[in-house]
Amino acid sequence: MTRADLWPRIEPLLARIERPARYLNREWGSRHDVDDAEYRAVLLYPDTYEIGQANQAIGILYEILNGIEGVCAERAYLPWVDLIDLMRSNELPLFSLESCSPVSGFDLLGITVPHELSYTNVLEAIDLAGVPVRAADRAERDPLVIGGGPCVYNPEPFASFFDAILIGEGEDAVCDIVAAHREAKAAGGSRREVLRRLAQVPGVYVPALYGPADARAADFAGTIPLDGAPPRIVKRVVRDLNDHEPPTCPVVPFMDVVHDRYSVEVLRGCTRGCRFCQAGMVYRPVRERGADRVVRDVLAGLRCTGYDEASLTSLSTADHSQLEEILRRLQRRLSGTGISVSLPSLRVDAFSVEMARLIATGKKTGLTFAPEAGTQRLRDVINKNVTEADLLATVEHAFAAGWRRVKLYFMIGLPTETDEDIKGIGELVRVVLDTARAVTPAAQRGSIRIGVSVSTFVPKAGTPFQWEPQSTIEEVRRKQALLREAMPRKGVDLHWHDADVSFVEGVMARGGRELADVVEVAWRSGARFDAWTERFSLDLWLDAFRRCGVSPEQIATTEREAEEPLPWDHLTSGVSRGYLVRERERAHAGKTTGDCSFEGCTGCDVCGDLGVDVVLAGGARR
Amino acid sequence: MTAGEFRLRICYRKTGRLRWLSHLEVAHALERAIRRAGLPFAVTHGFSPHLKAAFGPALPVGTGGKNEYLDVWLREYTDAARVVGLLRGVSPEDLSAKAACYVADNAPSLTAALTIGVYEIELDGKELGPEVVHAALAQVLSVGELAVVNKGKQKVFDLTRCVPKDVRVSDREGGAVVEVAIRMGPEGSLRPETLVSAAIEKAGIEISALRTTRLDTLVEDDEGVWSRPL
Repeated sequence: MTRADLWPRIEPLLARIERPARYLNREWGSRHDVDDAEYRAVLLYPDTYEIGQANQAIGILYEILNGIEGVCAERAYLPWVDLIDLMRSNELPLFSLESCSPVSGFDLLGITVPHELSYTNVLEAIDLAGVPVRAADRAERDPLVIGGGPCVYNPEPFASFFDAILIGEGEDAVCDIVAAHREAKAAGGSRREVLRRLAQVPGVYVPALYGPADARAADFAGTIPLDGAPPRIVKRVVRDLNDHEPPTCPVVPFMDVVHDRYSVEVLRGCTRGCRFCQAGMVYRPVRERGADRVVRDVLAGLRCTGYDEASLTSLSTADHSQLEEILRRLQRRLSGTGISVSLPSLRVDAFSVEMARLIATGKKTGLTFAPEAGTQRLRDVINKNVTEADLLATVEHAFAAGWRRVKLYFMIGLPTETDEDIKGIGELVRVVLDTARAVTPAAQRGSIRIGVSVSTFVPKAGTPFQWEPQSTIEEVRRKQALLREAMPRKGVDLHWHDADVSFVEGVMARGGRELADVVEVAWRSGARFDAWTERFSLDLWLDAFRRCGVSPEQIATTEREAEEPLPWDHLTSGVSRGYLVRERERAHAGKTTGDCSFEGCTGCDVCGDLGVDVVLAGGARR
Repeated sequence: MTAGEFRLRICYRKTGRLRWLSHLEVAHALERAIRRAGLPFAVTHGFSPHLKAAFGPALPVGTGGKNEYLDVWLREYTDAARVVGLLRGVSPEDLSAKAACYVADNAPSLTAALTIGVYEIELDGKELGPEVVHAALAQVLSVGELAVVNKGKQKVFDLTRCVPKDVRVSDREGGAVVEVAIRMGPEGSLRPETLVSAAIEKAGIEISALRTTRLDTLVEDDEGVWSRPL
């Protein structure tokens, strides 16, 4: 099939916009042999190129899809507003990068939904493509629009915009989805028949095949399957990461992008069991990649990309049972090349500092730790198994080893939080500063910096805190003021999240299908790029809630009854409701729970329900 | 000067749609290509060691280049033609090496040595006679200086110094081509498209688009003779 190449019409616009490198394609590692494929997929990240390019899921799926006979996959990003506006006035549709052809001409449009503030961008992208934003309005010629990514554990607010949504990991599922779609198309099936066929693929949620249990009830009464769809969608999960090669020749961007380095996922899942953490709950179980493979893949990836930095990514890289071996081997191979290795997250312990020291090349830029709460009582409530003594010992170790900057992550608005807990953050930072000063030579004490980043707790679906109320905007503002009061000034850089943004995030995190209207109204009123704080407007959202008759407070800041049906009850990450209830009870009792990748099973039921197991490369963790 | 290092000068092109890259993006892309090619590059000494390379005068976003240069320092002598072949194997056609040769380690830097840029500006427009465009340019050049406002600041260019040779205009399908040499300097260089735009605007000529390509980046010796640095 020959396709329209929009480049001759896009290029003349580039002189009038910022950062044209976003739209060029031709990067090293991008696929150009895209012609003549029988089945064409385009993978879209609903934000600008520099935000989405490094997304590892898209990189993995791009490689897998391009490896299937007869299939080609391209990438697309949402242009920045300057180009979007020019495209709309010149009647140019959203285009893919590789062939610069209209996204609407593909068989499959895959969209990753990275966070709750991306929903208006999803609509902007679908609409810019010239595809109806509601799945129900799409015709036979429109691409199949399939979602995936971190937000799918409560997909209801955006479900109406997607033909299907993949719950869970994509390595195997994407092949099943494409096979099912090709089969149904070959059989001449209608769009409805394609959707029915897709609903039979494990992990695939077809929103059109589900409806309210009681459409006439004033309150939400649960979701039921229609048309023979499975009653419950269970997340897809890869048994062993060692069965899947990570991309070792990913696309190397020309422009500066976030995470501009070669990344290898060294392990997936985290079972530390922090009760606020959605990723820690929904990506279970822990599966490590073996040291031999990690070292081989890092070296191969660096060779193929030419990057000067490799990152070992995961939710908790310091937990990898062979981390020390991996770093020592990489260090030996990379010394003298100017190539560095980085770790995205560190545990609060001396081992982590030693690991950071192992890979530090001259400049010691800064270390990041996440105590999350200011008092031991609250850390026990959230199951962040870190003590003040752990933190101080780690800080002492780091500053004695020559670091002069650390960054600490905290949250406010956590369940059971009191003003004492907020003041406790300031206290803890004060003690951290004292500890740092004590082990730093007097002449260098002026360069000590403690970065303190304070986010607002947003209860998420699929976590033990899914029933908890979120703090109101006023309450968050009051707590932020209290925090500023309690925080030492000298040597501290304090940052906090915008309370308005966190509120909308919270509504989107736990609302139901009634939010689709709100998202659409907000988008039609001009909301887009909501995650770019300078572009976010609370008034616009409040107006959309009002016009749709939806109470955002009812969704976000009101406690849910234990028995209340939840909008995401028909989907599961494999973690049982019983476990979440137990964990919530333990939270309120201030009792902590261990980590099954170190100690015994804590009964979350993922392994039994999904037929998987914890995979530790080194046999045991330490 | 570092003993045991070899300074290799590479000529490359920045063409096609990659003309839209910034100088920094070009530099990063070429450094990555050097690492991909597995060249035995030298690493800077210091706090944050990195690949040792130096680039010629920057090309703006949107301006292509047919003969651009960088110097890279190698730890081992590697046949220059082989380096070009290795680089071409790991680069997109539109940003790839064309030629290379070793230069003395104490040779002047590329930014200091390359003071002449020869540009081609393609103008798109109906009935753009080369004579009309040439007359418009001659008119502006005869004034002797050009005031340019950039980011609210005015800068006056001495055109007799900045435009050392006669401007040539020729015909092409759908428009005209201007060829102009510009003397570049550390104090800021006149953009050729600024000169052309000023000329056609003043003459009331309409164009629909304009594309700039630097054809050559040259060294001027003491006698005023121009030559390639490689």
